[in-house]
Amino acid sequence: MSRLLVVAGKGGVGKTTVTAVMARASADSGLRVLVVTLDSRTGLAELLGGRATDGTTYEGTTISSGLGPNGTGSIHLRTITAGEALQDYLATQGLARLAKRLVATGVVGVVSSAAPGIDDLLVLGKIKHLVGLTGPDGDHDLIVVDAPAAGHALSFLQSPKAMATTIRGGPLRSQAIEVQQMLTDPDKCRVLMVTLPETTPVNEMLETTESLRESVGVAFAPVVVNNVDIATDVEQLVAEGDLPAGALADAAAYRAERSALHRQAIERITTHGLDDVITLPHVATASMSADDVIALADQLRGVTPKKPRPRKSS
Amino acid sequence: MSKPDFASVLDDSKVVVCCGSGGVGKTTTAAALAVAAARRGRRVVLITIDPAKRLADALGVGALSNDPARVPLDGDAQLWAMMLDARATFDAVIRAQSRNEAQAERILNNPFYVNIASRLSGSQEYMAAEKLYELANDDRFDLVVVDTPPTREALDFLEAPQRLMNFLDHRVYRWLMTPARGGLKVLNIAAQPILRTIGRVIGADVLADAIDFFQAFEGIEPGFVRRAGAVQSLLRSEDCRYVVVSSARRDTVDEAVYFIGQLTQRDVAVAGLVLNRLQPAFGTGSANSALNAARAARKAGDQTTVLLQENLAHVRRVAEAEHAVIEPLLARVQGAAVARIHQRAADIHDLDTIDALGREIVG
Repeated sequence: MSRLLVVAGKGGVGKTTVTAVMARASADSGLRVLVVTLDSRTGLAELLGGRATDGTTYEGTTISSGLGPNGTGSIHLRTITAGEALQDYLATQGLARLAKRLVATGVVGVVSSAAPGIDDLLVLGKIKHLVGLTGPDGDHDLIVVDAPAAGHALSFLQSPKAMATTIRGGPLRSQAIEVQQMLTDPDKCRVLMVTLPETTPVNEMLETTESLRESVGVAFAPVVVNNVDIATDVEQLVAEGDLPAGALADAAAYRAERSALHRQAIERITTHGLDDVITLPHVATASMSADDVIALADQLRGVTPKKPRPRKSS
Repeated sequence: MSKPDFASVLDDSKVVVCCGSGGVGKTTTAAALAVAAARRGRRVVLITIDPAKRLADALGVGALSNDPARVPLDGDAQLWAMMLDARATFDAVIRAQSRNEAQAERILNNPFYVNIASRLSGSQEYMAAEKLYELANDDRFDLVVVDTPPTREALDFLEAPQRLMNFLDHRVYRWLMTPARGGLKVLNIAAQPILRTIGRVIGADVLADAIDFFQAFEGIEPGFVRRAGAVQSLLRSEDCRYVVVSSARRDTVDEAVYFIGQLTQRDVAVAGLVLNRLQPAFGTGSANSALNAARAARKAGDQTTVLLQENLAHVRRVAEAEHAVIEPLLARVQGAAVARIHQRAADIHDLDTIDALGREIVG
């Protein structure tokens, strides 16, 4: 199993939800999971069952523990920003006092302007450090990263390679090379692509996957298709025809059309050679909750969800 | 006062800025507004940023370009579109502001410049604003419609000129510039302790490139700052209207509400709200009434009706959830034009559908 899972995808595909579901499913299997976000405003803490303020700091917060069959599973969330990663990095270089001054005077901003990509590299460098602390004797078993959205995921993961070319010497160059090694080692790191079962999101996911494979050389976890609503029974009814006109027939036709679209989108992913596809079912809500995340995590693990028993119909 | 509508937003402005978080159909909405304005007789140019490939192909902007290309619309509609090339725009600004060709070349060939032009955070946003300003002052066009970059902080777009001004105004930057004026050698600057430290972190060569860039930049910065100020004035003027695009999901609605708050703080009003991908409601009843009907049908042993009613309950539950989620957003945009667009069966990727969407928004 890889020790680092980087969850990536375009904006709006439910990347943060999938991050929460993967973390929850792993913790429910007994793993000690560290979730890393780069942005504390995504609502990840609440999806994981914590309060909005949990995990917003560099050190983070343990949101759940005692999970899984033996109670070994836990979820810890922390937010890693480039500024703090830089201070941290300078401190490890024996420049702690100077780090404070650099941050206070705003020199940090100029440094990152001087070498764009340095922000991403510093964050990835910190993640690499944390990956080094995983394992039976370490702090965590698995690190799940909610990567930046949109095109930024690409430049985020490309930054070490780019920095190794831009920076011609010094400690950051070695850092860049080491991070790149980690990213391309399938035993350590996998990228999990998230998409929606629709034409454009699938196209964009396939393009990004190809770019990441070529330009960074990362290995991939299964593709997660989020929000899948396949209703074969409704499709069948509509195909048989003869439904009386009205809201019932309209709703059935609408759902059947979406269902067929979703099925085709998933087929397109598998015909593109990405056979490992995980689908997460559509949840009939406009606002995901921690309970929804737990239910999805259960389904992912193949556990029957603990629902109140439906009343027997006579 | 008459009810606000999109027709007047498109007729009475020089610039329409579409903002919203990623994945809400912002680029498509911008395109639809541009087509609708062109249909209303305005000469429109659309600036897109990173459109999905098929949408770009439909608009005929398959490649990055710095010049708008005519979009093949039928009839008299005059529409141009371009996909922002941030780097080329930055290059053009440098050329325009440089004292002479030698100065321009020195900057353009500097590795540090190459880095900031393509990757400085906010440089894409700034260049979008810059391009917008240029096209708003271009006699060929009456209206510029712009799609903002898919950043979480859509406001970067508004702040980008300010940020560049701050950057050029920064103490460290000024300090880097001063020795050059005093005739000191680059080597001496690089020997300063703070710069030595930066050099240790980012590498001495990168630092040397940066210092060289700042020195080459000397004399350009007042022009740059003036220009950034003019861009910012346009972005905050009456001529510039903001349209917020959202879907009916809590996360995108939260983003939209946040953005509206930020605009309001700056005394900028939201002119329009486009709610995309809403699920139709199907009839007038509630999800619960459909569930009750399903229960009754089960008693009656009518399996087909059970399935149909359960399906109706399912889609209505989504519609009801969406309704609850957009409520606070609607409360924030009283006085703005609002368009509710239903989820379409397939993605929008051809001109006809964009055209139809434009008609639907304008009403």
